[in-house]
Amino acid sequence: MIEAAHLTKRYGAVTAVDDLCFRVGRGEVFGLLGPNGAGKSTTIKIFTALCRPDYGECFVDGLNVAGSPLEVKRRIGVVPQENNLDRELTAYENLFVYALLHRVDDRRRKVQEALALVGLEERRDHLTHGFSGGMQRRLLIARALLGEPAVLFLDEPTTGLDPQIRHQVWDIIRKARLDGRTVVLTTHYIEEAEALCDRVGILARGALIALDTPDNLKATVGQYVVQHVDPSGRLIQQIVKSREEGHRLAGERNGSVTVRKTNLEDVFIKLTGERIE
Amino acid sequence: MKSPGWYPIFLREMLMFKRKFLKLGYLFSAMVVPVIYLFAFGLGLGENVRIQGGDYLTYLIPGLIAMTSMNNSYAWVASSLNLNRVYFKTFQVLVQAPILPTSIVVGEVLSGMVKGLFASLLILVVGFLTAPAPAVTGIFLVALFLNCFLFASLGLITGMITRSHEETSTYNNFFIMPMAFFSGTFFPVDRMPDLLKGLIYLFPLTHTNILIRKDGLDPEGLVSLGILLCYSAVFSFVGARLIRNYSE
Repeated sequence: MIEAAHLTKRYGAVTAVDDLCFRVGRGEVFGLLGPNGAGKSTTIKIFTALCRPDYGECFVDGLNVAGSPLEVKRRIGVVPQENNLDRELTAYENLFVYALLHRVDDRRRKVQEALALVGLEERRDHLTHGFSGGMQRRLLIARALLGEPAVLFLDEPTTGLDPQIRHQVWDIIRKARLDGRTVVLTTHYIEEAEALCDRVGILARGALIALDTPDNLKATVGQYVVQHVDPSGRLIQQIVKSREEGHRLAGERNGSVTVRKTNLEDVFIKLTGERIE
Repeated sequence: MKSPGWYPIFLREMLMFKRKFLKLGYLFSAMVVPVIYLFAFGLGLGENVRIQGGDYLTYLIPGLIAMTSMNNSYAWVASSLNLNRVYFKTFQVLVQAPILPTSIVVGEVLSGMVKGLFASLLILVVGFLTAPAPAVTGIFLVALFLNCFLFASLGLITGMITRSHEETSTYNNFFIMPMAFFSGTFFPVDRMPDLLKGLIYLFPLTHTNILIRKDGLDPEGLVSLGILLCYSAVFSFVGARLIRNYSE
């Protein structure tokens, strides 16, 4: 459904995206996981025709983004990292203008349905500058879904949201997938990638350093982590292949020792030596 | 029914303009500067100064209308585009929509023109109330529309190339404000030193001021009309190129 072929983007001396290659299948939820500055947002911007790569190509539904931008834009919906709603327009007006831009048929009904989907019907005539972060985020998702896109791009969709709103957003993303849409999301939340994504690409300094299902990525580095605090107060972690090996190692340590399952952050630390922040 | 690509952009700007317009602050701020000029220059000098065989207010009011149309068409587009691109990021929504770059140009420029024409209308009304009514001829309207179009297009260029809102103000102070004073708004250009005249005749507003005061299209008016058309074509072409090549 979408494909990146050797995508490269530089800003001066900084390589934001470095020879990125991956494919995402139809109906898949694909996550790009990495710390701030890893190149996640730039990748989304290239796919959504907001940014031109210095090298390489990308495709949406077999269409080259650079060669057929209008056709690509008809097939995508974008939820940006930053709120880019018109603050001086109401929720309804924001969606209505977007529906006009994307030539949505039966606009008034679909705008109303989109507001209902994200629980904002009662705020339809309120200016969005008074909206909370969670309401803005839900309205951005409603707007992105209005054109019934084949591919939904979400850049850090739940950053800064409280857990309850985060789960509401996750439910909307799951519904988009059930509706047959391909979903590409960036996140630096481990639990988000694990909860939503069929496959995850791990980005570090613009390069894709691993790509697989969350379970396979964890199996690659080891299924369990043994954690203990050393006498200087430092947290020491060691990834092991099995629970038995973890408990054997825990028995050899003094003090408070924990054995837990590996998560994607452990994978990231193992691969890069850095934490996701 | 399918609307043209520029319509949602125009509608969006008009919805926001409607909200501003309904606040009295907008009406006041749109009128305050030209009205101050009208009273300070017009009523102060009006009885003692005669220009081109007529009284000063008859000369001044078309100039104030040209200046107001320039200021409003330019500033609204430049400021709104810069803010939407750099701070609010709403320009991304337009770039990511399946519309041609020229639709963005048309939508933004048309909305700038409406704002410029509206502010000009306010000055025209004040002019009718305080002074001999200016003759609103076909040439007057052509000059006014072209002026709004070319300065809205110039505003679009400024809005696309400036990296901050402060930078937009710098362009305003160095290019737009001098043009307002030296292009025949308050006094005829032929009273300026020869050395400056060449430069002043490069300003588009000079030619709007020439054309807007014409009763008929004489050779001088034709030249000014041609120059305004050239500026309009160049500014809108450059604006369209900047939007087509936009990349974050």
